[in-house]
Amino acid sequence: MTSSTGSLLSLENLGKRFGSLQALEGVSLDVRPGSVQCLLGENGAGKSTLCNLIFGVYEPTVGSMTFDGAAWAPESPAVALERGIAMVHQHFSLVPRMTVVENLMLGQVKGVLKRHEFGARIRDIAESFGFTLDPDSVVGELSVGERQRAEIVKCLMRDPKLLVLDEPTAVLPPGEIGALLDICRRVADSGRAVILVTHKLAEIAKVADRVAVLRTGRLVADESMQDADMGELVHAMVGRELKPLDVALADDGEAPAASRPLVTPPKLALVCDGLTVHDRHGAVRLDNFTLEIKPGEIVGLAGVEGNGQSELGMVLAGLLRPTEGHFFIGGNDLTHAGAAAVTAAGGGIVPEDRHAVACVTAMSVAENMFLNKLDRFTRFGLLQRRTLNAAAQMQMREFDVRAASPEVAFSGLSGGNQQKAVLARELTLDPLVALVAAQPTRGLDVSAVEAVYRQIRAAARRGVGVLLISSELDELIAVADRITVLYRGRLVGERPAEMSERGAIGALMSGQVA
Amino acid sequence: MEEMLAIFIASTLRLAMPLMLAASGELVSERAGVLNLSLEGMMLTAAFFGALGSWASGNPYLGVACAILASVVVSAVQAWLSVNLRANQLVVGIGFNILALGATTLLYRIIFGGLSREEIPGLPKLAVKGLSDLPFAGTAFFQQSVIVYVGLALIVLIWAMLNHTSFGLSVRAVGDEPRSADKAGIPVAATRWKAVLITGFMAGFAGAFISIADIHTFTENMTNGAGYLALAAVIFGGWNIGRTVAACLLFGAATALQFQLPAMGINVPTAFLLMLPYLLALLAVAGVVGRLEPPTSLTLPFQRGK
Repeated sequence: MTSSTGSLLSLENLGKRFGSLQALEGVSLDVRPGSVQCLLGENGAGKSTLCNLIFGVYEPTVGSMTFDGAAWAPESPAVALERGIAMVHQHFSLVPRMTVVENLMLGQVKGVLKRHEFGARIRDIAESFGFTLDPDSVVGELSVGERQRAEIVKCLMRDPKLLVLDEPTAVLPPGEIGALLDICRRVADSGRAVILVTHKLAEIAKVADRVAVLRTGRLVADESMQDADMGELVHAMVGRELKPLDVALADDGEAPAASRPLVTPPKLALVCDGLTVHDRHGAVRLDNFTLEIKPGEIVGLAGVEGNGQSELGMVLAGLLRPTEGHFFIGGNDLTHAGAAAVTAAGGGIVPEDRHAVACVTAMSVAENMFLNKLDRFTRFGLLQRRTLNAAAQMQMREFDVRAASPEVAFSGLSGGNQQKAVLARELTLDPLVALVAAQPTRGLDVSAVEAVYRQIRAAARRGVGVLLISSELDELIAVADRITVLYRGRLVGERPAEMSERGAIGALMSGQVA
Repeated sequence: MEEMLAIFIASTLRLAMPLMLAASGELVSERAGVLNLSLEGMMLTAAFFGALGSWASGNPYLGVACAILASVVVSAVQAWLSVNLRANQLVVGIGFNILALGATTLLYRIIFGGLSREEIPGLPKLAVKGLSDLPFAGTAFFQQSVIVYVGLALIVLIWAMLNHTSFGLSVRAVGDEPRSADKAGIPVAATRWKAVLITGFMAGFAGAFISIADIHTFTENMTNGAGYLALAAVIFGGWNIGRTVAACLLFGAATALQFQLPAMGINVPTAFLLMLPYLLALLAVAGVVGRLEPPTSLTLPFQRGK
């Protein structure tokens, strides 16, 4: 560790616990004025927690900080702002229907608004850091990059000594990233310190002076960018211990994926042909996505969240019309057919948002388990509750969904049991041709994760083609036959699902060309 | 013919006035994210207490003060329920309207019951010197009740406040993105409170106009849906004060036609003319004519960290 003389901010053995979760442990770091410090790590590695400690959102459990030559223990973000730390959050805090100048005046001025004067100041600040910003444009009509620049100017107007940017490149299209990095460089050159938080190493390599890597709450690397080896950094970021998942799944008495006999396919289970999605700001969220999945095959789609997975899941569920391209389930073009037709054609969907999309939490377990087949249980238009509950009871046993009875509210189930119930509903579709499971194990405990994957593998053995979208690389490696990687809405590569490929897949996920 | 037109304009302005006052007040609180469906109730309460104050004191200006006070009290309860207790604004509003109708009817029968149709002291018409004698414009614009001129000035003030002061900026921010406003250090609850009180103040003026300036008496349910028309005008106006005032004038003109067309010898069924302003409002609210987006957080209570 470098000595703390000459550093603007230094962290000393910092730790933070949330209940039983050790989010951060023993982190010591020095940030120098005039430098760009990159903070690298996967989702959940503790980057945001660290920023929130510096910015006064949380208080550390142990350890101490010094900032600008004095002990640093801010009790709130307001104090941090006042003392010279400004932060650009991942979710912007601008009011879309107001203009840039109005947004930046909010809470900063009293009395009659002097838009012109304030607007000139905005222009000056933007210009002094080498970019332009029109103060009179309405924020909602700006591109994401322009909005981000407005946020940055908002921070710079307070003349901070330290500027923290949380995942600033995550929201940007590739063309705008270079401009952002130039701004960061200029901010640092003006004598301030910049902390860039990201999980995309390749993008920031050219601007960072130093890079620190966090993994599961610990600092695993801290070096000058000049000396750093990209491969080692990637390994430091993603190379954690293998979870016992594949061992657990290997025990189910089945042959491993590779030697599984495949029935010669009459038709492909799922075909995506050039799917492209533009969001309402015109940004490309999914770019010419093309993939074929054979019956009985499990294809993993890896990628850091926010790279187009959500959009892909929505398109395949029939909830979002792609701007371009088509997709087929069992040979049927369902691109514009809607959710009901996807279900009817044999597309089982396990949506990524379990609570909002996958179920109706106020309804009973039985009703949720047969939500897409309720017409089977009606006679003369009336729901036959007894038959429904009996059927649900059987299915709950089969899929190990634990609830007091089929009639209890779905919201009363644990996350694992909810997911098993959703899976049961989708896997019992008849016919079932393809299953699209998006982040199916998010928030589940180990035993529930195992149960979910056991069911998915069993479905594949019955000839269902499975697209498994997940940001958990270890799980994908354990379950899938091959792994494709989504980055910025585009398929950037495909690798065999083997542990030895972990580094290569991780590199693809973080945006490095294979 | 020219005389007719001048009278038509004058009565349009007179009939639109309570709508303009109430709608521009309501606009402020809707821009801050609070919907006062109770606008009708505020106006009715104000009309009653305005009449009562004017009758009891013999001074119509004291009547106006009573009207405003009564309406501001109602709006304070509305603000407390919808900002602090985060109650459902639609339900609270409807409840207020039913309560106001019942309470004013009851009080009217107890207090005025014996002296129904009693004339109460009203506000004078103000003929603006030098202007009221102008051939056309004099009749059309400058022989109005004193409250009309004050009201117009207030509406201009509200416009300036919303668009050119830091308070107006805060109002718009808490109505769209209260979370962002909170982060920028704007007190969300206090801003919404003030906005609702402004609505109460303006609704008080509107109610006073109806009972003291226009008709000089109080009758049961005398606002007769004017509050709802004002709410419709805000929607029709796309939450923009200029367009909202224009919508009020349109509704006022539709009402004025009821009196004007028969006088001109044009035969249209009275029922249709009575219906016309409400029909226009319905078409407007249904978005047949240029629908605009409401403030993003309209009717949504704010709670930090949720």
